[in-house]
Amino acid sequence: MKKVIVHPERCVGCMQCMPACATAHSRSRNLFAAILESPVPKPRIHVGAGLYQEGFPNRCRHCDPAPCLLACLPGAIFRDEELDTVLIDPDKCINCASCAMACPFGVIRYHEDCHAPPGKVVAVKCDNCFERQEQGLIPACVEVCKVNALTFEEPGEALKRKTDEVARSVSLGVSQAELPAGFARFALLIGHKRKELHVGRP
Amino acid sequence: MKHVIIGNGIAGISAAETIRSMTPDADIVMIGDETAPPYCRPMISMVLEGSITGERLPIRDADFYERAGISPVLSHRVSAIDVEGKSVRIGGERPIPFDRLLLATGADPRPIRAENRHLGNIFFMRTQEHVRGMLQALPQVRRALILGGGLVGFKAAYGLLRRGVEVTMLIRSGYPLSQQVDSHAGRMILKELVSRGLEVRVETDVAAFDGNGAVRRAHLSDGTEIPCDMVVVGKGVLPALSFVPRDKIAVDLGILVDEQLRTTAPDIYAAGDVAESMDIARNSRWVNAIWPEAVAQGRIAGMNMAGRTVAYKGSLSRNVIRIFGLDVMTAGIVNPPEDDRYKIVSAIDRRRRSYRKLVFHEDRLVGMTLVNDIEQGGVLVALIQGCIAVRIPGEKMLAPGFNCRRLFI
Repeated sequence: MKKVIVHPERCVGCMQCMPACATAHSRSRNLFAAILESPVPKPRIHVGAGLYQEGFPNRCRHCDPAPCLLACLPGAIFRDEELDTVLIDPDKCINCASCAMACPFGVIRYHEDCHAPPGKVVAVKCDNCFERQEQGLIPACVEVCKVNALTFEEPGEALKRKTDEVARSVSLGVSQAELPAGFARFALLIGHKRKELHVGRP
Repeated sequence: MKHVIIGNGIAGISAAETIRSMTPDADIVMIGDETAPPYCRPMISMVLEGSITGERLPIRDADFYERAGISPVLSHRVSAIDVEGKSVRIGGERPIPFDRLLLATGADPRPIRAENRHLGNIFFMRTQEHVRGMLQALPQVRRALILGGGLVGFKAAYGLLRRGVEVTMLIRSGYPLSQQVDSHAGRMILKELVSRGLEVRVETDVAAFDGNGAVRRAHLSDGTEIPCDMVVVGKGVLPALSFVPRDKIAVDLGILVDEQLRTTAPDIYAAGDVAESMDIARNSRWVNAIWPEAVAQGRIAGMNMAGRTVAYKGSLSRNVIRIFGLDVMTAGIVNPPEDDRYKIVSAIDRRRRSYRKLVFHEDRLVGMTLVNDIEQGGVLVALIQGCIAVRIPGEKMLAPGFNCRRLFI
């Protein structure tokens, strides 16, 4: 089953995923109309700065077991096994912020939303764009990402590719020139890993 | 394998569901003293304030026991445990034998000593029934008195204010939520409450009540008196363990458990508000009577009872509440002792009315208080729980736009 995979080392911090996400979760599904909607749709992916001021797209990991689900008082958070996605039922949510206290990634926000009862502030987070997926589309943040910092693929394949890349780069005798293209920040990661593993030093 | 679980709160429920998911054929008996299907205790204050109705409280369907294959024994309190004979006794009935026993009896409100405390309209706020009683009394209530500035007192005050009752809160310490927040956040909360019409009297307590059948007046320790027609007692909770044989099962404030949630007696486990476990931040034994810990302890106790050895990393005191215009989240040690090894960083943002404070012990985060900027709170809680060394300056964690990526490469 395909998943959204985040490659933080490729992110350039352009934040295009944020309006794309907000638009995908608006009533009209159109950027220009969405701006005029009330409540104004908000993104469920949040681009912030990382340790080296690099961009970092932070989104729900749909953990299993999910700490937010275990902490939810009214039982509004549930896992959809078929989609392998953690979802929040806005009718049941009581806006108590127990999930904010449980989420180790800080990706849950609280605001009015067009999918919730009018006027009600609820917990909102990424839903893996399941409505788009049912129409045969890929998640909006992936579709709009220009640098492949967000990809939609089989986790097993992505993991293998990534480990191979890191292993090749960390191993001795590989120069920076051989790094995969478009990996400006990969070097930072590699430098750090080498230091941790004491590689390439007498 | 026969599992007996005493208590049908969230710790007992989590344990039962975990056992059932791991061992489809085990016998599970659940003994509970409340008759209702499992419900969400923290939400009873919302029934009081009127934002939800009672039918929103259950967290499992009415046929929960049947579907999970659990034999329920409801509206009974266990009177004794036979540790050697491996059975529990309910009053004069036949003992129920067990192979594995879980004590998940929760906690009961801490009683008060004031004279005439048994007058009518003096309530605890711990169960659905309590709130139902409060709502019945409400039409005749004009002035309510809240004892205790903890979370329960707070939620009661909030609910009654929303119902249009005049509320006076008596706090023994100098500011509300003194167990949960530091003095700066406490003063912020106090200011917010007073601006919403709550009357707060600090550093005082009740000596006696009087009234004719129902409470009419409270006499305070400072010699003054307050007219009141309802009293809510929120002085914290005490683990419910009157039936536990203390010579066979070690008890401090709560029932002592090791990292597999085992008590000192073989095959007997404890979880939730009744258990006293290692506190991660304090690095000592502590009873953390909070919902998320009850869930975690119930699950891990269930796994161990079902035969899978799983270690519990320890508990952590934490809380989050929204009161009027303030969101407050706290975790771990919020008021560290005077000691050079503790370092405090804090930030006040006047414009966003936010206040954030982090407490470090050497290079580890051990506590936090967040007011009005709580969305990244879970990241900090995870840092405390994981005992993760923080390699960036604490001030950076208070910078705007902080996210989890700032911490690691």
